Amino acid sequence: MGKNIIDVDHVSVRFNLANQKVNNLKEYAIKAARHELMFQEFMALKDVSLHVKPGEAWALIGTNGAGKSTLLKVISGILKPYLGTVKVRGKIAPMIELGAGFDMQLTARENIFLNGAVLGHSRQYMEEHFDEIVRFAEIGDFLDSPIMNFSSGMKARLGFAVATMADPDILICDEVLSVGDANFRRKCNNRMEEMLSGGTTLLYVSHNMDSVRELCDHALWLEHGEVIMSGDAESVCSAYERRGAERYRIERRERREKAAAMSLQPSGSYDYLVVGAGLFGSTFAFDASNSGKSCLVIDKREHVGGTCYTKNINGINVHQYGPHIYHTKNKNTWMFLVQFTQFYAYIHSPLASYRGNLYNLPFNMNTFAQLWGESSPEKVRKIIEEQTAAEHITSPRNLEEQALAMYGRDIYERLIKGYSEKMWGHPCRELPADLISDMAFGYTYRNEYFQERYFGIPVGGYTQIFDNMLEGADVQLGTSYKDLMRENRYKFGRIIYTGPIDEYFDYCYGPLEYRTVRLETEKLPTDNYQGVSVIHYTDADVPYTRRIEHKHFEYGQENITIVSKEYEEAWTPDSSLIPAIPVVTEKNIALYQKYRQLAQRETNVIFCGRLGTFRRIGMGQTIEEARRLSKSDPLHRHY
Amino acid sequence: MSTLKFRIRMFIKYKGLIRELVSRDLKLKYRRSFLGYLWSILNPLLVMIVMTVVFSAMFSRNIENYPVYLLIGRMTFDFMTTSTNQAMNSVTGNAALLKKTYIPKYIFTVAKVTSALVDYAFSLGALIIVMIFTRTPFHLSMLLIPILMIQLYIFCLGVGFLLAELNVYFRDIQYIYKAITTAWMYLTPIFYPIDILPAGLRLMIENGNAMYYYIMQFRIIVLEGVLPSAKLFVGGWVFALAMFAIGLSVFQKHKDNFILYI
Repeated sequence: MGKNIIDVDHVSVRFNLANQKVNNLKEYAIKAARHELMFQEFMALKDVSLHVKPGEAWALIGTNGAGKSTLLKVISGILKPYLGTVKVRGKIAPMIELGAGFDMQLTARENIFLNGAVLGHSRQYMEEHFDEIVRFAEIGDFLDSPIMNFSSGMKARLGFAVATMADPDILICDEVLSVGDANFRRKCNNRMEEMLSGGTTLLYVSHNMDSVRELCDHALWLEHGEVIMSGDAESVCSAYERRGAERYRIERRERREKAAAMSLQPSGSYDYLVVGAGLFGSTFAFDASNSGKSCLVIDKREHVGGTCYTKNINGINVHQYGPHIYHTKNKNTWMFLVQFTQFYAYIHSPLASYRGNLYNLPFNMNTFAQLWGESSPEKVRKIIEEQTAAEHITSPRNLEEQALAMYGRDIYERLIKGYSEKMWGHPCRELPADLISDMAFGYTYRNEYFQERYFGIPVGGYTQIFDNMLEGADVQLGTSYKDLMRENRYKFGRIIYTGPIDEYFDYCYGPLEYRTVRLETEKLPTDNYQGVSVIHYTDADVPYTRRIEHKHFEYGQENITIVSKEYEEAWTPDSSLIPAIPVVTEKNIALYQKYRQLAQRETNVIFCGRLGTFRRIGMGQTIEEARRLSKSDPLHRHY
Repeated sequence: MSTLKFRIRMFIKYKGLIRELVSRDLKLKYRRSFLGYLWSILNPLLVMIVMTVVFSAMFSRNIENYPVYLLIGRMTFDFMTTSTNQAMNSVTGNAALLKKTYIPKYIFTVAKVTSALVDYAFSLGALIIVMIFTRTPFHLSMLLIPILMIQLYIFCLGVGFLLAELNVYFRDIQYIYKAITTAWMYLTPIFYPIDILPAGLRLMIENGNAMYYYIMQFRIIVLEGVLPSAKLFVGGWVFALAMFAIGLSVFQKHKDNFILYI
């Protein structure tokens, strides 16, 4: 182990609050008479330890008043610790706040020497580096003007140049880089990175986690003078951000509660009733309550999250309604969910199992090599072209014909037929052709099921995201819409209905068709059962469609595993399961249109989401639509 | 002792800063004025002329070569007041810098007193001019002036440390010190001869007023052309070293807490 350049051991710093305020005799006399002197103590740092090796870049993060600057002062020797020891082995260059190190009336030239002397450099040393400093600061023409005439950016450049040209062993940087334009910041960052790679140690204070991540490899998180977390920059930053987001939500909620308490609104009335605490409803409620609207969110089920719901069993987040992998093309949509938690960059690469053989999905060169033993894209293309041409299908009328025309008979029979029939409960000949169109296909060796730019699995499962989203709303679980309306206890400005549209109208035209997902889940005493999160079973005689090993979504290390067999079944109104996937056939669309016409007469209810609009939409699109709706402010649309 | 070695090393490291700070003070003092450094000579000269006009009717009968007598007293006392007043604000005035970076705090105090010393040295030019005009003979004993200035410099450093330290804790000291210097000035024979005072007061001043020691030494070596008496010379050193010891020890004892109060 190398020698540390900075050793801070169990350091506490004590301030005397009373003393700080007394600086004239009168006050002193009064306080002394009242025995108020020396009573208030304030520990600015409590038992803080920090060990820095040469060349490391440490960020100090924390809210204002957390003790970051105090720690820097202790390290630079400005403050003496009350308890504990500080050892520094090297030359420290602090990046001095604007104005403090400079005399405004002196010229830039004079200030360079003055500031250099402040940092403890000899005049000769400064003369050697003078040109370099002037060049970096870009103040050539103004060398002999007093710096009181300089812009703040020029002063910042000059200060930065003097501090960094001196090749210190330790550079201390306390939020000085927030000034200056983007160009200057980039230049400073480059210079700092250059110094870091040259072995300089950096202590950096910033509230900007992006710049912390960029510059630093380690971070220390202080709060009220205590170390909350210390370690590699990424994990400390993300923990800090999570905590910040949480705080922000709590604050917001308190503010809203206060506002609600003060408003003249009669209790028992809400701006919105959101039916369904799934992704659409929760997203909408989050946005609406953020813009100050009151929401009541209800769900029939006893949990939030809809079909995204995950349940933590023995440390493994089990996707209770089948796997949900978040993927979207839209950056804003991605950022929306990411604000609630961290995501694993999980690339979905399921396998297909047919008669004991495994094939990679989606259909790619790996799959084709497994099918035909061919490794060249050229030859594979030819095989598929031959096979599709052999079918002589010009306008496919059903899923079977569509699949044959697209992929040929080998792929269809081994990888599509059985799976689709189990999935939809009908022979492929009777299924509409367009059910197949969204499957990725390519002549590369990339096992990426989703090709969108943003994808991932939330660290810790989906349910926490929903808890966070619904923080600002009132939530009643295990409550059905009909029962709530019968009770007639509340008044609502508008109703956002994300449940099945046919159920709302009591199936007056007959039920729409849905598929439902039934999971048979078991705990197994092995740490790895199938080596992949999802296997599709494409032969017709295996009764389930997929087998899911949940731990692989989050790279779980537990010594047990939880595996679910997924069965796709038809859903009926008397089923205890939930309607999961709308069966979008011509017949059903026609039926839906009839319900839609009824819906349009319900001026106070907006039907939305997957079940409310009878469409198969993914998570990304659901979020987008919910956010669009909340932005258009449906409450005011009809006024 | 390693702390002493450390202190010496720090002093050597930062002596460049003292130079920079002194040169800043001097540059800024007369920047944008038409005559610049010349004012360091002109100013005491003008004040001397005014005071001579005012007071010569009162005292010149008793005092030989009143202009030189007055000028020496005046510029010596002035050095003491400016240097100590500047020193008083040396720590508090650099709070922003001291909070951000480690610099031995006494550096600023030393720099302020040194700036004033340089100014004092400039005003010797005024003295020479007045001596030429009044046809005062130049004596060899004048070579002792630098030694005298060193004595006074050390004395002022001591006072400056004490004031700088006090000012950190009680800003009231600035106003109190203003009153003290006024009283001190009248209790120092600057523009009057010491023998006009009643015997009791005179005894007090001759034994207790440090400034009396420095001004008298100066006058003796310039006007009388002889060495100062042993009492004045030794006394001057004793005052200087004692004050320096007191000031520095008080300052060093509390310096680590300054940061909490500035």
